[in-house]
Amino acid sequence: MKRVIRFRLNTRLYEEEVQDEALALDWIRSTAGLKGTKEGCREGDCGACLVLMGGRAADGSTEWKGVTSCTLGMGDLDGRHIITIEGLAADGLTPVMEAMLDEGASQCGFCSPGFILALTGFLVSGVSIDPVAAMAAVEGNLCRCTGYGSIRRAAATLCADFADLPAGLAPRLALLASRKVLPPELAALMASPPEALGVAEAAFASIHPADPARVTIGGGTDYYVRNPDPEPDTAPRFSDQAPEARAIRKALVSGQAILELGAAVNTDDFFSSLLVRAMAPGIERFASDIASPPIRARATLTGNIANASPIADMTAILIALGARLVLEGDPGGERLVELPDFFLGYKKLDLHAGERIRGIVLPGEPVMFNFEKAAKRARLDIATVNSAIAVRMAADGSIAAARYAVGGVAPVPLRLKEAEALLIGKKPSAALARQLGALAYEAGSPISDVRGASRYRRRLMERLAWAHCIRLWPELRLEEELLA
Amino acid sequence: MKRNPDSIVNVLGKTLYVDDLPENAGMLHGAVVLSPSAHGRYSGLDESKALALDPSVRVLVAKDVPGQNQLGSAVLDEALLAEGDWHYHGQVLALVLASSRVLARRAAARVQILGREDLPAVTDPREAFKRGDIILSPRTQRMGDPEAAYKDCALVLEGRVESGGQEHVYLETQGAIAWPEDSGGARVISGTQSPAATQKIVARVLGVPMNRVEIETRRLGGAFGGKEDQANGWAALAALGAVKSGKPVKVYLNRRDDMLATGKRHPYSSDFKIGLSADGMILAFEADYYQNAGAACDLSPAILPRTLFHAAGAYRVPNVRVTGTMCRTNLVPFTAFRGFGGPQGLFVMESAIEQAAAVLGMDPVEIQRKNLLKTGDSFHYGQDVEDARAEATVTRCLQKARYETLRAEITAFNAAHKDLKRGAAAFPLCFGISFTKIMMNQGGSLVHVYNDGSVSVATGAIEMGQGVGRKIAIVSASTLGAPLASIRIDSTRTSTVANTMPTAASTGADINVMAAKVACDEIRKRLIGVAAARLGVEPSAVALEAGRVYLNAGAAATGSEARRDAGLSFADLVNLAYEQRVDLSAHGFYATPGLHFDMKSEKGHPFLYHVYGCAVISATVDTLRGSYQFDDAFIVHDIANSIDPIVDMGQIEGGFAQGLGWAALEELKFDDKGLLVSNTLSTYKLPDAHFMPRMDVEFYDKPNPTVVANSKAVGEPPLMYGIAGYFAVLDALKAAKPGKKGFYDLPMTPEKALRFLADDEPKEQGS
Ligand SMILES: Cc1cc2nc3c(=O)[nH]c(=O)nc-3n(C[C@H](O)[C@H](O)[C@H](O)COP(=O)(O)OP(=O)(O)OC[C@H]3O[C@@H](n4cnc5c(N)ncnc54)[C@H](O)[C@@H]3O)c2cc1C
Ligand code: FES
Ligand code: FES
Repeated sequence: MKRVIRFRLNTRLYEEEVQDEALALDWIRSTAGLKGTKEGCREGDCGACLVLMGGRAADGSTEWKGVTSCTLGMGDLDGRHIITIEGLAADGLTPVMEAMLDEGASQCGFCSPGFILALTGFLVSGVSIDPVAAMAAVEGNLCRCTGYGSIRRAAATLCADFADLPAGLAPRLALLASRKVLPPELAALMASPPEALGVAEAAFASIHPADPARVTIGGGTDYYVRNPDPEPDTAPRFSDQAPEARAIRKALVSGQAILELGAAVNTDDFFSSLLVRAMAPGIERFASDIASPPIRARATLTGNIANASPIADMTAILIALGARLVLEGDPGGERLVELPDFFLGYKKLDLHAGERIRGIVLPGEPVMFNFEKAAKRARLDIATVNSAIAVRMAADGSIAAARYAVGGVAPVPLRLKEAEALLIGKKPSAALARQLGALAYEAGSPISDVRGASRYRRRLMERLAWAHCIRLWPELRLEEELLA
Repeated sequence: MKRNPDSIVNVLGKTLYVDDLPENAGMLHGAVVLSPSAHGRYSGLDESKALALDPSVRVLVAKDVPGQNQLGSAVLDEALLAEGDWHYHGQVLALVLASSRVLARRAAARVQILGREDLPAVTDPREAFKRGDIILSPRTQRMGDPEAAYKDCALVLEGRVESGGQEHVYLETQGAIAWPEDSGGARVISGTQSPAATQKIVARVLGVPMNRVEIETRRLGGAFGGKEDQANGWAALAALGAVKSGKPVKVYLNRRDDMLATGKRHPYSSDFKIGLSADGMILAFEADYYQNAGAACDLSPAILPRTLFHAAGAYRVPNVRVTGTMCRTNLVPFTAFRGFGGPQGLFVMESAIEQAAAVLGMDPVEIQRKNLLKTGDSFHYGQDVEDARAEATVTRCLQKARYETLRAEITAFNAAHKDLKRGAAAFPLCFGISFTKIMMNQGGSLVHVYNDGSVSVATGAIEMGQGVGRKIAIVSASTLGAPLASIRIDSTRTSTVANTMPTAASTGADINVMAAKVACDEIRKRLIGVAAARLGVEPSAVALEAGRVYLNAGAAATGSEARRDAGLSFADLVNLAYEQRVDLSAHGFYATPGLHFDMKSEKGHPFLYHVYGCAVISATVDTLRGSYQFDDAFIVHDIANSIDPIVDMGQIEGGFAQGLGWAALEELKFDDKGLLVSNTLSTYKLPDAHFMPRMDVEFYDKPNPTVVANSKAVGEPPLMYGIAGYFAVLDALKAAKPGKKGFYDLPMTPEKALRFLADDEPKEQGS
């Protein structure tokens, strides 16, 4: 659908009529004519199209994150700031580019703009400056030429040169401008108040009140992969643009503490939330198992659920955490559905016409949590199978409560109630792990496909069950017995 | 720090790849309709829904081809556009043109296939072989008498080895833009590694002589062999569209279409037999390689001999018999990919050694070391081993990796851990340099010196990130005596340098640097003549260097002892020559000397020289999950004299990464009906930064007197180091399952690893 939106591209403010559902990548290359943003896959997997996107952070400040412009709808640029390689290169070479040149990290060069934007975003972001963090920042970028040796060396040089970056956004931007990482004009704009920059809450939700014909798009990281050349005049509604939709809140419902997550809470929001971390201590270490930084910055939990993939990682995690969905839009009023019950069959959801997910509710009680994902490549890969477990222990060392989720072995993500029944009341042991493994081995009816044979999936289910026990109770050293 | 100035535009985001060039008004965009199954027949296409989408839509099929509808070169067996049947999943049935790319793709999706009838598909090369469905004839190379030699062997082993295909994943997909010409031909900007071959195919398809087709190639966003013959079809489609519509046409594939429709590295299935003495000397080796050639010949006949040439690896084997057969299947025509058949052959030999070592109770490294090629040995194809560097590089690499200590550390680690096991393996490299087809070892250049002193050098070399332009510039500058900054490497055009060879077989620099040097030498001679006349000295008294003219020490006219600046810059001298009507342009030509090969006896001297080296790789396996990671890679590589160390380092690390991907990650998967199921980057995983181990690369820098600048070709050889990655993981897996026989089915995957660990194998492979 055509609509006028307001956003900034590099230093220039646009007030443009755009096709809502069109890809930002196509618009940047064809309409804005900026060819430094490349198309390498059109499905979020290579990072050649990476741009930095500035917007309101959950706390109201402005933040910039690398995002893949091939999974980004134009409508979602409303109130946002986009930085492309042309914006960085406005005054010539920057230290990030120079480091790449000095190490020979640009061979054919097709991947280079994406890497440079990701590394620049890393310096802007204010995370701790070290080579490991720098390389984590480019986990969404592929290079087929260099073998990454030169890119690692360039990243290490940058970390040494910028070890002293101040923590606060304004002084950091000032330093990055003075050291020419950002052109001064761009840096000055970035340091200005959000309104002056053009970063604002878009009033999108109010422009498009609930309308059954509209398809809701969260981060678009699934939608655009399935619709790489979207038909014009689909009329998407971007849940990301709704005020409050990215909030994670604690609430009391009849004396019980719960967590409420808005529809647009994305993967980064989830893992960085202190409330989530307090509920499932250590959960943040699983963030890097999910997709890549540019995808995590966009991918919503609701999108992960509603795309109904049997191997959706966040869905497995949320099932283990006991999630319920708040569904709105049905004439009969809002409904609350247990997450496992939401999946009726392969890609079939308990979602009435006109309904959408308004939010997710989690029980607030603290749990011990573990997540396991088996995939071909350790980073940025879709799971062959996955599994998540959450338990609470009784005072006597036995398991008081358990939730067990598995993905990739059935047409839908599964909650394994038999496994939970097995665990409850027992003390963890190698024998229990074996029983759990045997049960998980039989779970579902895995198929053979590009990611693995059914036999392999079963074996993994058993092994991931063992892995849960080993990781939840490391002091028992169960691996000694299980792998003897 | 020496920077490659060619890369500056890359990091600024200003490099114009095919899809980035300014588009002419009225340009049409092409999208392709691909076959939906591996083998089938159809009665026609229903275009009505596509045409209804937009008035700009036009659909072109085989009958629209004005010339020959044929892409084949060695064998004419590949239609540009299908005619009533298809032979692999992803074959082009039609070209759809429209005013925008998104529109063209949406229109292509609306073209319907009428009367579709799927036919049985053959995907296994051995099955094709059994049916007699082979391309050309099998080839056999032999030396000595393996049959007789087995009698003296303490151990004779036979086995079966599989290796999978590999997708190139050049980040820039295939594409071309064509402009119609009033001659009936076309001007095409194509992402090709071989403009002359593309020119020939485009001319054939348009039905015009080659002189009416011009191909220009600028910088490629990666190629790796995938844009050798495989680029021709897209250029031909763009040209066809341009001639038919009278408008410029761009065909630029999206990733999925590129992965479905373009050729990849050949999968191989092989049998071997190896005989060794009790102390691990290899006495005899035989192998039969069933090359999965796919549905058309493509470059398979050039790739197969490289497998045979590299069958014995870096080892001295006195008795050899190796036979290779190209088997026709219903898969995409497989094609050139860095290494060009070499890796597949080398993996078979290394698999044989690993198995033999297990039986003999030796470390494979011991067998590898004992059998390394030495100067004076003979390759089984008749060439003498000259200037062997196997022992030097292997010894240095083992030293660098502290191999003995590493082994002890691994043994201790494995004794202390149940959930993790470590392993290590070495791979000694010997790789022949030259096109295996002798006629291809030729190249031309055209050098213009403009009257302001700037220089343009054109050759047949294509820049695709391998730094060939940089090497040509460095050697041209030093030959001419011009400042490096005054050299510009021109885009590669068929109208500037004709009949060029593909930039491939690692020879891009060797051949094209020489061709440029020949032309630069000629111009330099002329310039020195002008300078000598001006200065009143003999030409031998004049030197041209880095943009200045010098009088050599002791030059008669000066009487001076020391060399001195003659007060003339390169630009001054050029201008002088220009005023004196001296020709400032020259064409150069180079044909690699000393190469010969007799196809009948399968003997000769096919390689100018060999590249040696060694890798030691260590890996850690998670025995619970079957996943693994690579820890360290130590590489000592025979670079000889490096023309540009940064460029060469990039080639070594980048080649190794592709090899490690091929060996232990990248799984090209077809289902049992022959459909490519790993057809996107979400299902086909290639190395990311996290996958790659720490890399410690050292140059072995003994000069190579056989070529220009004493250097060695570097493009392909480092890829083979990845083979050590497969065996490092296997070594770790065997530590978890002592005594269990290994499996030889590349790529290694976590799935295969867990199958091995959990004893899920129904029957052991590779025996
Ligand atoms: C490169 C890449 C890597 C990925 N890696 C992973 C991974 O490791 N693990 C994993 O699980 N997934 C992965 N994904 C898949 C995808 O990113 C996730 O599933 C993501 O969470 C989807 O969220 P989204 O907001 O982007 O969804 P969208 O694309 O915005 O939406 C997905 C679907 O949900 C519907 N939807 C969205 N919001 C609502 C709502 N509020 N109510 C009703 N329906 C709604 C949409 O209509 C659409 O059909 C990956 C994707 C890419 C491109
Ligand atoms: S084009 Fe590959 S991530 Fe967008
Ligand atoms: S330099 Fe070619 S893909 Fe990175």
